[in-house]
Amino acid sequence: MDLLLEGFATALTPENLMYAVIGVLLGTAVGVLPGIGPAMTVALLLPVTFSVPPTSGLILFAGIYYGGMYGGSTTSILLNTPGESSSVVTALEGNKMAKSGRAAQALATAAVGSFVAGTIGTLLIVLLAPNIADVVVKLGAPSYFAIMALALFTVTAVLGSSKIRGFIALFIGLAIGLVGTTTGQQRMTFGSPQLADGIDVVVVAVAVFAIGEALWVAAHLRSKPLDVIPVGQPWMSRDDWGRSWKPWLRGTAFGFPFGALPAGGAEVPTFLSYITERRLTKHPEEFGKGAIEGVAGPEAANNASAAGTLVPLLAIGLPTTATAAVILVAMQNYGLQPGPQFMDAQPKLVWGLLASLFIANTLLLVLNLPLAPVWAKLLQIRRPYLYAGILFFASLGAYSVNFQAFDLALLLGIGMLGLAMRRFAIPVLPLIVGVILGPRLEEQLTQALSISQGDVSTLWSEPVAVVVYIVMAILLVGSVVMSRRTTPPAPTRTEDASMDVNA
Amino acid sequence: MTIVIAYGTDQYGRAALAHGAAQAELRREDLVVVNATRGDSLVDRRYADDAEIERIKAELQTLGLSVSMRHDVVPDVADAVIEVAEQVDATLIVVGVKHRSPVGKALLGSVAQRVILDAECPVLAVKPDPLADTV
Amino acid sequence: MTTTETTTPVAPDGTTRKDVAQYGLAGFLLVVGIVVLIDAAGLSDGFADQPVQPYAFPYVVGAVLVLLSGLLAVATWRGDVPEEDDGEDVDLTQGSDWATVIKLGLVLVIVIATIDFLGWAIVGAFLFAASARVLGSRTLILDVGIGTALSLLTWYGFYSGLGIPIPAGVLDGVL
Repeated sequence: MDLLLEGFATALTPENLMYAVIGVLLGTAVGVLPGIGPAMTVALLLPVTFSVPPTSGLILFAGIYYGGMYGGSTTSILLNTPGESSSVVTALEGNKMAKSGRAAQALATAAVGSFVAGTIGTLLIVLLAPNIADVVVKLGAPSYFAIMALALFTVTAVLGSSKIRGFIALFIGLAIGLVGTTTGQQRMTFGSPQLADGIDVVVVAVAVFAIGEALWVAAHLRSKPLDVIPVGQPWMSRDDWGRSWKPWLRGTAFGFPFGALPAGGAEVPTFLSYITERRLTKHPEEFGKGAIEGVAGPEAANNASAAGTLVPLLAIGLPTTATAAVILVAMQNYGLQPGPQFMDAQPKLVWGLLASLFIANTLLLVLNLPLAPVWAKLLQIRRPYLYAGILFFASLGAYSVNFQAFDLALLLGIGMLGLAMRRFAIPVLPLIVGVILGPRLEEQLTQALSISQGDVSTLWSEPVAVVVYIVMAILLVGSVVMSRRTTPPAPTRTEDASMDVNA
Repeated sequence: MTIVIAYGTDQYGRAALAHGAAQAELRREDLVVVNATRGDSLVDRRYADDAEIERIKAELQTLGLSVSMRHDVVPDVADAVIEVAEQVDATLIVVGVKHRSPVGKALLGSVAQRVILDAECPVLAVKPDPLADTV
Repeated sequence: MTTTETTTPVAPDGTTRKDVAQYGLAGFLLVVGIVVLIDAAGLSDGFADQPVQPYAFPYVVGAVLVLLSGLLAVATWRGDVPEEDDGEDVDLTQGSDWATVIKLGLVLVIVIATIDFLGWAIVGAFLFAASARVLGSRTLILDVGIGTALSLLTWYGFYSGLGIPIPAGVLDGVL
């Protein structure tokens, strides 16, 4: 507790408070803006890591993360265009509520639900992370190697719909991670001195998240405005509160564990929360027509899972969402290596960050309820400016790494790869995780084998490593069985196929 | 004989609608209401939704006018208005005008201004009634 | 990118349409995999205390890439079709407008070619205005104005706010 109070002391300095406010506002804005998500925003802001102190930088990014979640739900409700997969479920009931004139209540239950879930989730991190770190700190290199392999495996094969596409993304990422001279010899540098230091993860992140996305959208620019639902001040009646608070708590209970597991994500818990609320509601007739429970539960689940993803990120250094992956890149830029030692070595930073999460949550509630009509105005920004702006800041971000035109060429090349990935439905997260974790995986393996003097059996000499491999095997078998059961025969998708060919 | 109204969902558009309808009644001419957008933002507040277009049409028809609505996504709104006017051989175009600073004019251009300058038929430029905003 | 367009003739069975472009992706993976393998073969043994040889990881990565390339080609042949990425501003019903993408790519190529000489302030303004134009903006003066403002603001912001001096290029001494 003392540590947390000290954390608040760190987070409440005027400077850090300012970064929290900027982060929350920026995060909400980009969550509302079409085409930009929190992962892209953090990627575009990576240059700030060169000069802003680590604590402030991470507070900024955490604010963007939480704010982005909130902003995404605003557009789901007002426009029925969920920008991220995690807010798809919110749109189901939220947009129906808005259409029947209850936009204010939908936004309010989403905002308060996010606050409740985020606060409980952060509290759980505070309770859990140090304990997990205490356990993890006793692990040796073999266990680390196993856990990292598990992370790569789950991010690749468990999340996402197509396993082969997940593995394609992962191994392209690993190939990019090979470039450089970390092993003492030039690998994949093709004799280029600019490649000798490896490809900067910042360039890769900006390229796949920002350039790839901007180019993909440019190829399919929507040209018809959507009907927006005008919104006043969000508020809830006593009855709305009565119907919302239980879904908030249940949603939190679904969201946090899924976020904290290495195979988490927000899609499953939001969906689980939705079907639970539909089953438990006293107003089943409203479901499908705008039931407030169907917004309250999934929104809470969404935010709780965002909080949950910070547990593996801080305690083991494993990113399970795209935003968490980019935040990890930021930490590495600071020379910080999240993991068990991180909690002990950087208590000020970690606890300041955790305290700032509480603050960010409160700020979201205080700022965003009155600002909702302002956010809705952001939707009027003209697409040419939005996407030209993304290209502009992406180029600036990549250029500011080394001030080399070469980095911009890499940006364009990998950006084209990002475009192709969107065309061929190759997920982005495994690639970026591969780039980050690939070199670390090699390092842990080297370390484990040097201690054992080349004896390979050391890899399964630790109980934790054995357990992790068993979990991996179970997941592998489970996911194969699941996909056998759920994958429909290929020809059912001929409609899409003909669309592609016409394209 | 047809009157073309350039309509956007704001007080200027409503003023154009009111004056245009009055002119059509007076001159016993048909009405074409043009509501167009460039569609380059996710939301364009001056672009009406389908329900509103139906509502306006019904309202004008109760006045005994023959009305057709043009509700399109176009490359350029001013060009679209002028094009419709030429197609229907319009006798009059009605636009709502708002005050813009010289800088604003230079940077943003104005649909009303371009219609006034480029149209081949007479153009009626109207302002919203500062006291009432009813239609 | 080296997308080798291996337009393998599609078996005209008439029932399922194939995403032929996906063979291109498979070809790309094959090329990358082979490049990784060739590069790995050129590496020599590591130091005595290096239990994991420098070529160990590359061999695995390269081999798996080649394997994935084959699997993807087979999946494509069997009628596997990707679910293209959807989004708020994405309209998949209209087909793909690759001309815009190529133009944007050209804008970026010009930026890459000139940035060392002209510096960020000028090139950034060009990048913004030209991209906005390509994406359909027709207000040239406004576009250039916003672009110039953005690039100057970011230049000064990085210089005084973040303490990062971005090279000024030809404007050195002016800014």
